Amino acid sequence: MKRLQGKEAAAAGYKKRTQISNAIIFCCLALVGLLFILPFVWMTVVSFERYANVQPPFPPSFIVKNPSWFNFKIITENGALLKAYRNSLVIAVFSVAVNMVAVMLGGYALAKGRFRGKNLIFTIILCTMMIPFETRMIPMFKMFANLGLTNNFLPLILPNIIDGFGLMLARNFFSKLPDSLGEAARIDGAGPLRVFAQVYLPLSTPIMATIAILKFMDSWNSFLWPLVILTGTETRTVPIFISAFSYEGGTRAAGSTMCVAFMGIIPVLIVFLLLQKYIIQSIALSGVKGE
Amino acid sequence: METFKGLANYQYILSNDTFRLAIFNTFFITFFQLLIAIPLGFLIALAINSIEKGKNFLKALFFIPYITPAIAAGALFLFVLHPNGILNAFLSLFGVGSVSWLENGVTARFGAVILSVWRSMGFNVIIFLAYLQTISQEHYEAAYVDGCDRWHAHLYITLPQMRSAFAVLIIMGWINGMQRFTEVYALGGLTGSPARSLHTIVGFIYERGFGNYEFGVASASACVLFVIILAFTLLNLKITGGKD
Repeated sequence: MKRLQGKEAAAAGYKKRTQISNAIIFCCLALVGLLFILPFVWMTVVSFERYANVQPPFPPSFIVKNPSWFNFKIITENGALLKAYRNSLVIAVFSVAVNMVAVMLGGYALAKGRFRGKNLIFTIILCTMMIPFETRMIPMFKMFANLGLTNNFLPLILPNIIDGFGLMLARNFFSKLPDSLGEAARIDGAGPLRVFAQVYLPLSTPIMATIAILKFMDSWNSFLWPLVILTGTETRTVPIFISAFSYEGGTRAAGSTMCVAFMGIIPVLIVFLLLQKYIIQSIALSGVKGE
Repeated sequence: METFKGLANYQYILSNDTFRLAIFNTFFITFFQLLIAIPLGFLIALAINSIEKGKNFLKALFFIPYITPAIAAGALFLFVLHPNGILNAFLSLFGVGSVSWLENGVTARFGAVILSVWRSMGFNVIIFLAYLQTISQEHYEAAYVDGCDRWHAHLYITLPQMRSAFAVLIIMGWINGMQRFTEVYALGGLTGSPARSLHTIVGFIYERGFGNYEFGVASASACVLFVIILAFTLLNLKITGGKD
């Protein structure tokens, strides 16, 4: 009896100790995490600060002393930012749409189709992933320029049809679904497209969400290709607007630059907070599979 | 009109000091980024994995910089790295004097390193966590029964099992680092100022190709970039290929 009590006490002690050490670890992590978030807090403060136009306030402060919309008025003056949001949204939505159609159909064919050279085609598709975008950039630019499509959204949307990584994700997902589902539907008289659309597609919403999230973020954040293609002021996307804004006029003003960064980050942040779980999962998957 | 020039463009870029400097900058920034971000990411992931409550909150905290657009993060760091910015304010807590990060080549490169560590940390943490969760708890239970402490358990169980996580992050880090452009463009502009210390290989391609319309020179440097990345990719396949 006595020994048992001793054991219980030891167990309770152990539990208490791990609780304390967990609390310490949590506090340390939260502190480091706070350092990671601090630039955003500071950015928000500076962008709402009336007297922070050229130099950031010194010493740095985390409280807005003279709150005002002054910086926001500067950057939204001519409606160019709103237009940039619209452009970015249009490009991202259409990129996701064309990518989704191509990748789901292609991935399904590579997983469930029976035709000669299937594995060879898949290997070639995987090989295209090794070629970095920067190597293809100049020939792609020349091609679209010859077609007269600079300053157009098509060069930003159409290349998303060819996406080795998305095809790989879709193909691997379809491979895990049992063949018997499709066979059963076929016996009942369904054609190949119907098997795809009514049997396999409803089961593949998780991978569709992953592909959509990755592609949307890719398109929304992309910079170099839009920088090359979109040279006019009317067609600017949000990243191009941010880049052009912080250099216009030669001097960079702290208030408006922080404000423009704020406007670029906030929509992404809101979407992230809403879809946090799915975004983190998708990106973990892209890292683990992207090896 | 294009005329065939043989290897003249390659001879030109390989003996060009600006291109060599761009290669050096690209490797330098990526080397220090990975040197800091990967071990630190591992420690943070290990700590997050060991606690019970608040995991998702902490994950999100580290992850937010990763999802911000690179150009917006760069614009933000123009002023984080400003002499009156918060990085100097933070360092002054430890008695470090004011540094003009973006006015001198060496500190500007480290400024870019800090920016990229900050942005890539969330990704490293998430990948390490994904791999940590694949380690069976039984290993640890067996070790604790035999009187092993936490530190030795991590040294002899966790680290060996995390080899492929390290390999993936190091090689993906190199491949992504070779393509570095947006962040340094936000900090240093077209020529990667100060004194081209932030001029990367892709920056060189962009400047020559779309600034000067020297598509031949730009394409030759794009091929050099491709060869460098191909070498890392083949290394990657060699290390991870057998398992997947």
